[in-house]
Amino acid sequence: MLAVSLAGDAVKAKNGSMVAYDGRMAFKKMSGGGEGIRGMVTRRLTGEQMTVMEVKGQGTCFFADRASEINLVQLQSDTLYVESSNVLCTDGALRTGTSFTGLRGASQGNGLFTTTIEGTGQAAIMSDGPAVVLRVSPQFPLSVDPGAYIAHQGNVSQSFQSGVNFRTFMGEGSGESFQIRFEGDGLVYVQPSERNTVGGEV
Amino acid sequence: MSGPVVLDPTTLPSDDNVNPYTFCVELRGSQWFLQKGKMIAYYGSIDFQGIGHGRLDRLVRTSFHSPLHASDWVVAEGSGKMLLADRAFDVNSFDLEDGNLTIRSGNLLAFQPSLALKQSIVPGFLTLIGTGKFVAASNGPVVFMEPPIRVDPQALVGWADCPSPCHHYDHGYMTGVMGGVRALTGLGGVSGEEHQFEFVGAGTVLLQSSEALMAEQAAGAPPQEPGVPGGGGHGGQGAPRLPGQLGDLQRRFGL
Repeated sequence: MLAVSLAGDAVKAKNGSMVAYDGRMAFKKMSGGGEGIRGMVTRRLTGEQMTVMEVKGQGTCFFADRASEINLVQLQSDTLYVESSNVLCTDGALRTGTSFTGLRGASQGNGLFTTTIEGTGQAAIMSDGPAVVLRVSPQFPLSVDPGAYIAHQGNVSQSFQSGVNFRTFMGEGSGESFQIRFEGDGLVYVQPSERNTVGGEV
Repeated sequence: MSGPVVLDPTTLPSDDNVNPYTFCVELRGSQWFLQKGKMIAYYGSIDFQGIGHGRLDRLVRTSFHSPLHASDWVVAEGSGKMLLADRAFDVNSFDLEDGNLTIRSGNLLAFQPSLALKQSIVPGFLTLIGTGKFVAASNGPVVFMEPPIRVDPQALVGWADCPSPCHHYDHGYMTGVMGGVRALTGLGGVSGEEHQFEFVGAGTVLLQSSEALMAEQAAGAPPQEPGVPGGGGHGGQGAPRLPGQLGDLQRRFGL
């Protein structure tokens, strides 16, 4: 559960994730993630729909969603790439948008697009079990199972790695045929659990 | 508020837990067996090979003796650090020294090739024999108990060194005509705890602190031979059951 203290400022949170609050709060649904008409259309087109509400007021507000683990991410004029379904709450000052992920998204079964959170402030992301934060640096590239990936930040490039060979087609695949390889400098968040992915089957 | 701990290959533990739900295995040109799809991330160069072909034949021959589960297991080899996790279940590593341990097949995540994996006579369980480390998952922390003990079938994770797993039924409650009707229909109230596994003798029983089971993976059936439990052979059980026969009900009432 996430507790947010507000003193007249605002946060954006996943619609319906408020479980309790004290003080005075106003909840306003923001269509299209509060990104204006253009953002709304983009989200509709990319399938990264996110219903967000703006919470404003004085006091403490508690957020939670399906008892999943909540991880706080501190952003300093940084960009966090995260799946829209894993976003719980962001500071009002952070901008959200969508970006293209290519094949990685397809392998995760989450669509070809992902949500970006930019700016300075804190964001809360959800994971199934506490997330492990792994650093990617030039000498230590990292490979991640698409089903366990939840978010990354920093200046990393991702490429799609596939170990599909003739054995995969003979039903002797290793189950780890697809990985996302992160190179560069940044942080990757993985959860100790795997979503069901297309890649997990082969 | 301090941020989460950021890990890289130099700070990741070697063959130890990162947090209660994630386990880190260090490979230095060595090999590990792991269940398909339990690797969540790795540093370094690690290869994943489905078992049951060519190059790994020798390894498989010495430490993998459950052909029915072969399609669920892969061999990781190379060098680097690899993170294992399973559905946000608790993950623990155990050391076996010249011992044996039987574990529910879905709960075993990975093991060192110095252990030999065999299929247990009890269907759905696997036995590890030898010396080495293995990683197992459980829903909630594992509790170790000493026999004699009766455990709920859903809470049982595995057992070590005690060769007497058997079924135990709560008798006063389940015998007689009324007991049969109650057990079969639920009429008259069932507590859901009439059936346990019983262990006696020296050894250790591993329990999980929840009754949520891992999804059972269909691993085929053992060979059809008389005397093999679950093998489909009707060894000594008399005539095969005919359609229309009352089966268990009939036997319960002694007909």
